Amino acid sequence: MRRHFGGVHAVDGVTLEVEKGSIQGLIGPNGAGKTTLVNVITGYVPFQSGHAWLESDELTGLPAHRIAGLGISRTFQNIRLFKDLTALENVLIGMHTRRRDDTLAQIATLPMFRRDQRSRLDDARGLMETVGLAASDIAGRAAGTLPYGDQRRLEIARALALRPRLLILDEPAAGMNPSEKQGIRELIERLNEDGLTILLIDHDMRLVMGVCKRVAVLDFGRKIAEGTPAEVSIDAGVIKAYLGSGSERVVTSAPGASAAGDTELAGEGSAARPAVEPQKAILEIEDLTVSYGPVNAVRGASLRVATGEVVALIGANGAGKSTILNTLSGLIRPDSGTAVFDRLDLTRAKPSTIVRHGLIQVPEGREILARQTVLENLELATWGRRDGSAKRTQIEAVMKRFPILGERRALRAGTLSGGEQQMLAIARGLLARPRLLLLDEPSLGLAPQMVDEVFKAIQEIHDEGTTILLVEQNALRALEIADRAYVLETGQIRLSGTGEDLLHNPAVRRAYLGG
Amino acid sequence: MDFLIQLFTDPVAFWNSHTLLISQIGINSILASSMFVVLYSGQLSLAAPGFMAIGAYTAVLMDLYWHTPLALNIATGTAFAGVVGVAVGLPVLRLRGVFLAIATIGFIEALSLGVILNLPITGEGLGLKNPNADPLGGINIVLVSLAVVVFLLWRLTKGRLGYAWTAIRQDELAAQSQGIDVARYKLIAFVVSALLAGFAGGAESHLNFFVDPNEYGVPRTVQVLTFAVLGGSGNVLGPVVGALFLTTLPYVFQQAGDYIGVVSGAILIAVIIFRPQGIVGRGGFAFVRPRWWPRAQVRAPSTR
Repeated sequence: MRRHFGGVHAVDGVTLEVEKGSIQGLIGPNGAGKTTLVNVITGYVPFQSGHAWLESDELTGLPAHRIAGLGISRTFQNIRLFKDLTALENVLIGMHTRRRDDTLAQIATLPMFRRDQRSRLDDARGLMETVGLAASDIAGRAAGTLPYGDQRRLEIARALALRPRLLILDEPAAGMNPSEKQGIRELIERLNEDGLTILLIDHDMRLVMGVCKRVAVLDFGRKIAEGTPAEVSIDAGVIKAYLGSGSERVVTSAPGASAAGDTELAGEGSAARPAVEPQKAILEIEDLTVSYGPVNAVRGASLRVATGEVVALIGANGAGKSTILNTLSGLIRPDSGTAVFDRLDLTRAKPSTIVRHGLIQVPEGREILARQTVLENLELATWGRRDGSAKRTQIEAVMKRFPILGERRALRAGTLSGGEQQMLAIARGLLARPRLLLLDEPSLGLAPQMVDEVFKAIQEIHDEGTTILLVEQNALRALEIADRAYVLETGQIRLSGTGEDLLHNPAVRRAYLGG
Repeated sequence: MDFLIQLFTDPVAFWNSHTLLISQIGINSILASSMFVVLYSGQLSLAAPGFMAIGAYTAVLMDLYWHTPLALNIATGTAFAGVVGVAVGLPVLRLRGVFLAIATIGFIEALSLGVILNLPITGEGLGLKNPNADPLGGINIVLVSLAVVVFLLWRLTKGRLGYAWTAIRQDELAAQSQGIDVARYKLIAFVVSALLAGFAGGAESHLNFFVDPNEYGVPRTVQVLTFAVLGGSGNVLGPVVGALFLTTLPYVFQQAGDYIGVVSGAILIAVIIFRPQGIVGRGGFAFVRPRWWPRAQVRAPSTR
């Protein structure tokens, strides 16, 4: 099966079989194409080539509602409940395909309709109980007002209302704390015992490894491994996909990659000495806690960055890395804790003030203006500055620094390759004359060669004297160029040390793969 | 104020002296219900006056040329509006939101400029005389049919169809994942809306001795949309209340004289600020924080 997105092969020749009655896991790093695969199977995104079957029914080319009618039910990565409707109504809508058209009976208010409606209500309440929701308490509440964990469960109840032959769960445990995750795990196991076939996609390796009998791993749209959880977790290719590839020198000594089958790892933090925290920090974060509604994304994180340093903040997806950066930029307000950038209180200052103070973020996903030219993108970055001629020379200087941008100055930014777009985003950040540059996932979705280019550029910018806080999923790469690094896991700082120390620390691998 | 005083002190005289107004409220309520159906299914369609025109011209022309009975005329006008509704809805319903709104405005403009103003049979824009109109007797038809319309819609919204519409309005993608054929249910809503508007047009033409082509343009569609939004489009009764409220407003504030537009406008603004969900919508008055007041910015954690 293949699926491209405008030149990006989001899913490229993947073959996947889910055995009836089993729980199949599907994992892979950010941007590996997992959700795209699900969207293709469920008819949201058309096939470009390849086929899919559900038992003997061909799914290829059918619209989403027909595929749902055939018995594939799904939940969404970002919960998509009908928020303004009650919990009960949400489940009732899920029964659409197995409810006969009763419009006339409905209008006439026939007793038949009332009887059916009563049985539907009982059924819906039963489903809510099945997924562990107290129907009597929450049935009448608007779905959007339920606690986060209950919303996840309600979405599963709605999916079950379809009486699916295959249930696809897209990150059902995202954003949950460990005990909630345990509850979801038990639910998945219970549903499977009742005979339901489940395709489980999640970033949380402990969940997937614990509950699945077979796991497939995607990376760059290709299936790179498949097998039992134990086999997959020691597969060298999988480790590389998750931790990223360092340069040749490092790969050989990368944690866990040296010896396939070596599951016995050294004790926690054996190699990591607590790094010397700088005395004079330009950025100082103390005990920062941030949440999105009921979800705690960051729980009491503290870190420091001194002038001239490159500090890496690494951790698996959903660990809270981007949340910390967005908090520093003033886009999110923390619940508690302090964040001070050169005497400026970042928890209170307006985003525009923070930018003027010299704290510049290069956002994840680059967020360039795709329909503007490269030059226009750069000019907009200096918007609001009144030093006309200095602006010009600086733009010229930046284009000299990234020659590719100079060559493509008249092209629309959207036509650049991913790596070039990342260069443009960094260049734009530099034009704001940062005293601290925040880089959020600069290597995201880039081919390995482009990753080399981007990291080379980061290194050079640093050598020219820019202080950098770097957030990366590609841990090995980030550790190579970082002076110091912090490892974030479920919103907390688990480890810190010099880049060199952490590079050889097996605990880093565990933070990613949950070994 | 005399208007309200009379309503409470002498209802019989009020009824007799305001028959036309009450009929107009009824017509406007049916129109608002037509708008309700499309809004309830999550579509911003502004086509109602077009279907009204079809209903009105069909009914009056049948009367003038064939002298057929009134009931048949209105029924034919309604059915014709429904047929045109299918023909227009099939291509147009691929669009969403403001694009759908513009496409449906295109439909009413094409209909009035391209068809009504050009055909000899419709009077080429000069309008049609309708000698058999019955301004006072029409009130019974209007009020009875309004009651029937509201009842039918209320039942529809409670059934499988209503659930499908609600699901589509809330989240099309999620609705699809529940096996709901979004295109089909949108078309059903669009056609039901066309039927109601066609009926309202036919019934309204029976109240006037003259069919005026200028009645069926964009200003009318804005008015009908205002009824539905002001009354609240999450509830069958909302649009009816909106129509009642806005149609009587100028009469209640007669003393304002030339400034009646200013007074009505100010009240409209106040209502929509404090009741953004509509007069009949769920929830209390939004005194604490009107919806347009910005919340603290929160960006959801990115997972891709």
